[in-house]
Amino acid sequence: MSYVLSLLIALPLVAAPFVYLATRANRRVGIYASLALSVVITLIAGYVFWQVYSTPPAGGQYLFQEKYSWISFSSFGLNYFLGVDGLSSPLLFVSALLTVLVIIGSRRLIDHHEAEYYSLIFMFEGAIVGVFTSLNLILFYIFWEIVLIPMFFFIGVWGGPRRKYAALKFIIFTFAGSTVMLLGFLYFYMGMPSPSFDIPTIQAMLQAHQIPVALEYVPLVASFIGFAVKLPLVPFHTWLPDAHVEAPSPISVLLAGVLLKMGGYGFLRISIGLFPGASAQYAWVFLVLGLFSMFYGAVAALLQRDLKKMIAFTSINHMGFVLFGAYATLISGNLLGIQGAIFQMFTHALAVGSLFMLSGYIQHQAGTREIPLLKGLGTTMPRTATVLVLGAAAAMGLPPFSSFLAEFMVIAAGISAYAVTAISVLVPVITAGYFLWMIKRTVLSPAEPGQEAHDMGWSDVVAFAVYLVPLVVLIVTSYLILTPALPVAQFLQRLP
Amino acid sequence: MLDYLTLTVALLAGTGLLLPLLQVFRTGKGNLAGYILAVVLGASLLLVGLFTLYPSSVPWAGSLIASDQLGGVFALVTVGVTLAVTIASFDFEKSTSNAIYYSLLAFTALGMVLLSYSQDLLMLFVSWELMSLPTYVLAGFSKTRQSNEAAVKYAIIGAMSSAVILYAISLAYGLTGYTQISAVVSGFTAHPTALAGVATLLFVAGFGFKMSIVPFHMWIPDAYEGAPTTVSTLLAAATKKAGFIAAIRVLLAITTISVVEGSVFTLANVFAILALVTMTVGNISALTQKSMTRLLAYSSIAQAGYILIGFVAFTNAPGSTAATLGLTGTVFHVINHAVMKGVAFLAAALVLLQLRRTDLGAYDGLGKRMPITAFTLTVAFLGLAGVPPLSGFWSKLILILSVANGPYTWLAVAAILNSAFSLGYYAWIIKRMYIDDGESTERVREPFWFVLVFAIMVGLIIGIGLFPQQVISFASNAAAGFSG
Repeated sequence: MSYVLSLLIALPLVAAPFVYLATRANRRVGIYASLALSVVITLIAGYVFWQVYSTPPAGGQYLFQEKYSWISFSSFGLNYFLGVDGLSSPLLFVSALLTVLVIIGSRRLIDHHEAEYYSLIFMFEGAIVGVFTSLNLILFYIFWEIVLIPMFFFIGVWGGPRRKYAALKFIIFTFAGSTVMLLGFLYFYMGMPSPSFDIPTIQAMLQAHQIPVALEYVPLVASFIGFAVKLPLVPFHTWLPDAHVEAPSPISVLLAGVLLKMGGYGFLRISIGLFPGASAQYAWVFLVLGLFSMFYGAVAALLQRDLKKMIAFTSINHMGFVLFGAYATLISGNLLGIQGAIFQMFTHALAVGSLFMLSGYIQHQAGTREIPLLKGLGTTMPRTATVLVLGAAAAMGLPPFSSFLAEFMVIAAGISAYAVTAISVLVPVITAGYFLWMIKRTVLSPAEPGQEAHDMGWSDVVAFAVYLVPLVVLIVTSYLILTPALPVAQFLQRLP
Repeated sequence: MLDYLTLTVALLAGTGLLLPLLQVFRTGKGNLAGYILAVVLGASLLLVGLFTLYPSSVPWAGSLIASDQLGGVFALVTVGVTLAVTIASFDFEKSTSNAIYYSLLAFTALGMVLLSYSQDLLMLFVSWELMSLPTYVLAGFSKTRQSNEAAVKYAIIGAMSSAVILYAISLAYGLTGYTQISAVVSGFTAHPTALAGVATLLFVAGFGFKMSIVPFHMWIPDAYEGAPTTVSTLLAAATKKAGFIAAIRVLLAITTISVVEGSVFTLANVFAILALVTMTVGNISALTQKSMTRLLAYSSIAQAGYILIGFVAFTNAPGSTAATLGLTGTVFHVINHAVMKGVAFLAAALVLLQLRRTDLGAYDGLGKRMPITAFTLTVAFLGLAGVPPLSGFWSKLILILSVANGPYTWLAVAAILNSAFSLGYYAWIIKRMYIDDGESTERVREPFWFVLVFAIMVGLIIGIGLFPQQVISFASNAAAGFSG
């Protein structure tokens, strides 16, 4: 029995109150301790990631398993059950990495209630690790809900002018979505011949054809609602622009980079992984919904004046790829779809994370995020402008950024499902269009006379390099993610 | 040798009778009576616990008393809540006649303990009255106009519900010739006449007043708001639970009866409709309240709706897995709700005591003014909304699980949607406490005794949430013992 995953969950959760006390006592000590702690957590997550890469578990198998009975009475049993595979390990790693970057970025952008802020960051991180490693549906749901609490306070306390409204809207939307998902799990549980909440146990029953497809429809729809709100899928997305606009930039990074991944992860692990028969039957519906989200996100981004809102809609567009790719594999059997979806989640986290953090810097330095008002960044803030251009290139999927590869794989799988989905190549085109237009207006425009702006320091440039360099490296070393993702894709594709 | 239950009864009755003597011999505002009662209740808690662990027959009671674990759960919960109320009253109830106040609390506790174990309709009724009569006085104890109005309203409705129960008992006796619950039930089952159905419905209505089930709930918000808030705590977290044990003992034994012979008008359907209406009305009304005590009152009504879900699962298919889950969920939620709602009311009592306000405006920025109280309320509210990993999550989970797949899936859907909806007002208050700015940021004193109660109860909410196994086993055994 290994304790690595429990450690990864417990370390941030247990540390959170100490971080609070330390930051209250001394701001600098608290922040540096937070940074050190998050680096340690990232190293452990990196170790898990490396282990999963070097000995990828076979489909339906998990590494670092931990299983204890938590509750049992009469016929009801619930296990504390953790494990990772090629689907969860990249997400685990990127979440830990983003936490480090968020702590670095928060130093300058968060200036009140810092003790509470840094301790909530760790509460969030612990819960996120729990979501990605739980192999029991109820445990998964518990971590899923705990994530909401810090996020509610992040938006509500450190957010922009309409933060109170956005915080309430966020928590009610996502809580409603997830309770419906829970109901789906309960319905599924009570209908099983030998009830279990353990994902591997249920998958074994599925492979032995012990679970009728008829039982899968209700939980599929219920979990769809939970995951669609998180992903978010149009038309369940309306909380996202509000939340992003009001959230402080470092929190937007967590929101887009980590929280949305919970939706994509849920679709792969649970919607497809536990309700494969029903998923396969209605795969075209999900495919169309994903495609619609991609287009809607791209077109809506085109219309935004607020830089941050534009990036928020880019997220909707990018997360549509995840759903599209996942279900394309179910239809066509082309494994590139699921592999691409996992890859896309990883690259999106870093690319869009860097852009959100940048939007925070730009607002902090230039005083506005309105694209038409930002002029001549190329001359006034050359370093910021360079990073902005590179981040935009990563987000639009320009080689050598590996986002290109991820989107390419997803679109290829889509075409092998239905040739007509080739129109999805238009999405990166529109994306490139609005990003280039934004760059033209902000970076390439002449600076207004008398405009004062402070460029970012070199230390910040280094921080941004941590977002972008892995994206370049990964286009050559894409096997780091794709090799462990392959057995997952094969397993999910053969499950129905 | 005396058994533990007899000792408890003697202790509580003796304390209740002797405490008023302090009033005669003493003047001033001392808390002596309160300290005595707290010690006595602590001892009673211990004795009831021992009685639950080592049950024995109670010689003087004949077949009036069932010494089972189910009774143990409810006796522990009600005595525990009364103890919390007593401790909180040290600071809250400073009037010169507080010895009478504590004496009345002792009698209520005694009534609730006896009611928990009653298995005879007459015993049940006597305990019911012993529990209720002191609370009528307690509700009017602060002698303000509002408090008097609450007491009168509560007493009239309470008397009416007692009359309804008594009428149901007389029907049951007339039809079967017994007052022993098991004998009445077998009589009803053997001859399911229309009158038996009427008696059953009358029981539902009579107990429903105490359980705060819609449409028998009208008195609740007024009484909870007008009564001293510590007494509201007792009403919401203890006497209400006593209503549930009475309903479980009487109604869940009668499972097969159709209120109208051979129709869909079965007991399970009646409970399902009541559960649906109760939780929906409770939550929607709670959302529109402007006073904390009224909000808590409506939230308490909504929670009664969730508890009823277990009744539905149990009466729908007695003996099935779902039935066991349902009753376990009911018992477990009764425990959790008593703790969560109890501490929420006590927090409201402290805010009233220190700020002299119950309107929600008093809660703006409370996180800075009374951090311990605000944190307590946050945990209690998240628990009431069913946010994991707090105790309320598990009991709601089991309740909903019991009807998740079957003829009452719609009820599970309704419960889930209600839960999500209820977070709307709970999160709204949390937002007001931590995110909104209050009229002042000055620290307000939080007295030791309140903080002690808060710490214990918050500890229970989080502790049961993280390690629910022991309490669930207890609830599950209690439920299994009842279903045979």
